[in-house]
Order: sequence, then structure tokens, then C-alpha cells
Amino acid sequence: MPASNGHTAPDLPFPVFQASSKVERYLLYDINTITWLRKNHNILGVLIGTLPQIPQQNVFLGLPLELQPEEARLLVEKGLAYTVNDLDWHTKDLASKNTTQVESIRADLHRDGIEVARELQKSKQKQTREALKRLRINSFSTVSSHSAASPDPQAQDDTPEETLFADLPTPESTQAQSVLEPKPWTVTPTISYPPLSAPPVPSSPALPKSTPSSYALFAHLHDKGYFMSPGIRFGCQFSVYPGDPLRFHSHFLAMSAEWDEEIDLLDLVGGEGWGRGLRRGG
Amino acid sequence: MAIDSTPPAPQPSALTSYLKSCALHGSHSPHYQNLALQILHNLQYQHDWTSLHIHIHSPLTQKLLLRPLISGLPPHRIYVHPDDQVEELKRGLDPTKGEPEREWVLPTYLAEKWSLRRFGKVFDAVGEEPPEEEREEEGKEEVSRDESEDGGAGGGPGGKKRRGGKRILLATLGDDSTVVYYIIHDGIVKPRQN
Repeated sequence: MPASNGHTAPDLPFPVFQASSKVERYLLYDINTITWLRKNHNILGVLIGTLPQIPQQNVFLGLPLELQPEEARLLVEKGLAYTVNDLDWHTKDLASKNTTQVESIRADLHRDGIEVARELQKSKQKQTREALKRLRINSFSTVSSHSAASPDPQAQDDTPEETLFADLPTPESTQAQSVLEPKPWTVTPTISYPPLSAPPVPSSPALPKSTPSSYALFAHLHDKGYFMSPGIRFGCQFSVYPGDPLRFHSHFLAMSAEWDEEIDLLDLVGGEGWGRGLRRGG
Repeated sequence: MAIDSTPPAPQPSALTSYLKSCALHGSHSPHYQNLALQILHNLQYQHDWTSLHIHIHSPLTQKLLLRPLISGLPPHRIYVHPDDQVEELKRGLDPTKGEPEREWVLPTYLAEKWSLRRFGKVFDAVGEEPPEEEREEEGKEEVSRDESEDGGAGGGPGGKKRRGGKRILLATLGDDSTVVYYIIHDGIVKPRQN
């Protein structure tokens, strides 16, 4: 996977994947898109990927990124993105591929796997060589200290090491070993296009649904340059950051309400208690 | 058992006698008026506020307020905008020791439900700074009443600009007569440095 710094813009509009037509969950799989959005459009989302072996993992999560409904809607409204039904599109696009195309996709993956295995083998060999070189220099320096006849108590321990590495393989012989082809790795790509063709851009993209009041609040704060992450941990809708949360503490805990929606004063007082515990403005 | 020796009824509390001593007017319903008086009493005797004043009409529009509002001068500054705080610290001043500013107080009950529209109406009816009062020397027991003729003297658009815009101190009265105070701003104002 190429390193991503958010400088390269994805092809616009980019697809936002909806896991199913019944569930309002929007996912992004491409790390380039994700970093670009975070850097240029203040969109955070939530990383939700766990290691397959540890599904109860709840920190250091990875791809994919789930967008909040408000974020997904904002991106669609700004014309940056469009929603795609993940399952439908995959089924349709895979069905449209003929056998040779499928084979070539498989061959590509296999080739990638070989590439990864080779890279790994190369770096391992490099490490080994450098470690051996270091050891040899160390033993030489011990030998020279021997010749200086210094009464080193450790000198006794070093002697077996010298004999152990006396007949080290030369770098040339290591090179010869690398001709052995390593076992290819199984590559699981995080994105499926390419190789699949990009999902078609609909003429009138469906807007992700979100509560009108919370979307209005999100869009207003987003327009003012704030970053919003889900606030459920703090008993609110959004925790609002004045910049990237990696650099800033949040300023507000935000709740939205309709213009005439009744607000219990006890909630206001209680919510303030939450905020004060976290030293945030209400 | 002597039944006729009932103990005399206890003296009414300071608050009760205070409420009784104040005449009500006809514009707002009595519970709003008594609520405002009780909050005023709390501000005056528990928090040492001065120049307390109950407003019945908006100093800006002269219209009847949603409910009586209180204005007053706290003994020390209750709010410092973070930018002011930084400036004063740079000049070597203690931001908590600054000159107190007159504040608006909105009396509420804890059991009440409010809405954004109602908060908006309250903000629309007040300026940044409550009008200056000339009648504050009338005595502490006698609460001077704003009859709207002296409204709009101090605050409003002509007054000095406060950083952070309009603010109101939300006073919420609980069942056990405790009052909690929260500062609410009109719009997004960044929080204070801790």
C-alpha cells in the first residue's frame, strides 16, 4: 500500500459505500481518499476495522472508515461523493466479468503476493547481513583489545563467539541463496476498484438520511471550520474540535434540537456537568 | 393533655416575608414574578450582587418580556472571554480581578422545558449590556421596577462591544430552593482557557 499524505486528490466524485440499502452506514475503503478528506475537508469518520482474529478489539482500529450519516450527506451535497450500494455493485460488476478477466485479476493478486514476499525476504536478508557485519566488527575490536593485553573479565566469554562465527558466509553466498523463490503471500486488497470498474455515477445521487436538526448543526459547524467526531462517549451528538483532533482538544460538546423542540432544563444542567468533567464548553 | 396550648406558628422565613413585602404587577403571571423575586433575593443575599433590577419590558423593543428578567452587578467578574484573558495576562493583570460587568439573569424553574426559539426570543429582547439604573439607591427591600421609560440607556447596539456577543446568566431554581447559574451565549463562543 503506498504511503498516503493526503496531497493527492481522489477522482471526484468518489463512491461512498453503503453496506446495504436497508442500513444507513457509509464506508470508505481507500486510505488516500480518507486522508485527503481529513486534510482538506475536515471529515474524520471513524475507523472500524479490527484484526480478523481479534474482533473484540476496540483501540487502534484500521480500515474501513465509517462515515457519520451527516458526513456522508455533506459529501454528497457538496458533489464530492455519491453513494453506492456495496453488495449490489460488487455482485453486478463481478458477474459482468468473463473468465479471462477474473483469471487476470487473480494473476495480478498472485503477482502482488510474490512481490510482497520478495520484498520481505530482501529486507530480512539485509538485516541479517548488517547484524553479522556488526558482530564481526565487535569481535575484531575484542581481538584488538586482547592483543593490547587488557585484563578484561569479559574476554573469556567473547572467545567462543569468535569461533562460532569464524566461517561466516560471505555476502556473495547470501546473494546466491536469494535466488530461491519465496512462497507468495496472500494479498487482501482494501479496495476493489481497480480491479473492478468504478461504480457508475448516478445522475441524481441518493442523499444519505440524517436527522434534520443534527445535520443542520453538523453543516453549520463544519462550515465554520470545526471538526466533528461522534459524541456518544460524552453523552452528546458531536464533540467539536477547532482543528484536527490529533492536534487539538475539543471545544464543545454539541447537541442539536429543533427550533421548537422542548429542552428539559435538567438535561442542560446535567449535560453541563458532563462537559465540565471533560473541561469542555457546552 | 392540654390541647389548647398549641405552640405559636413559626415566624415566616426571610424569603417568605420578602416575597410578601413586594407588590405584584399585572403584566406577568404571579409565579413568574415570585420566581424572579426569589432569584433576585438569592443573588442579593447569597451572591452579594448589587444594583439589582427586575425588567418587565424589553429595553430594546419596549415590548413586554416573555417573563421578568433581572439585571445586576456581580461582586466580581463572572465571565472573561479567552481572548481578553490572554490580553490581560500579557499585560500582567489578573483576569479574575477585572472590573465586574452588569449581567442579564433569566429566572427559570428546574422542571421547566425550554426550546431554542424561546431562548432566541429572550436574546432578541436584550442588548449586550443591561441599561444603567439611576434608581438603585431606593433601598434594598424595595425593588425598583423597570417601567420601561428608562430602558435602552446603557447597553444595546450603541454600548461598548462585548467579546462573545450577548450573554445571559441562566438561573435555575430547584425544588429545594437551590439556584444554579449557567452562562449561555448567543451563538458559538470558544471556551475559556483552564
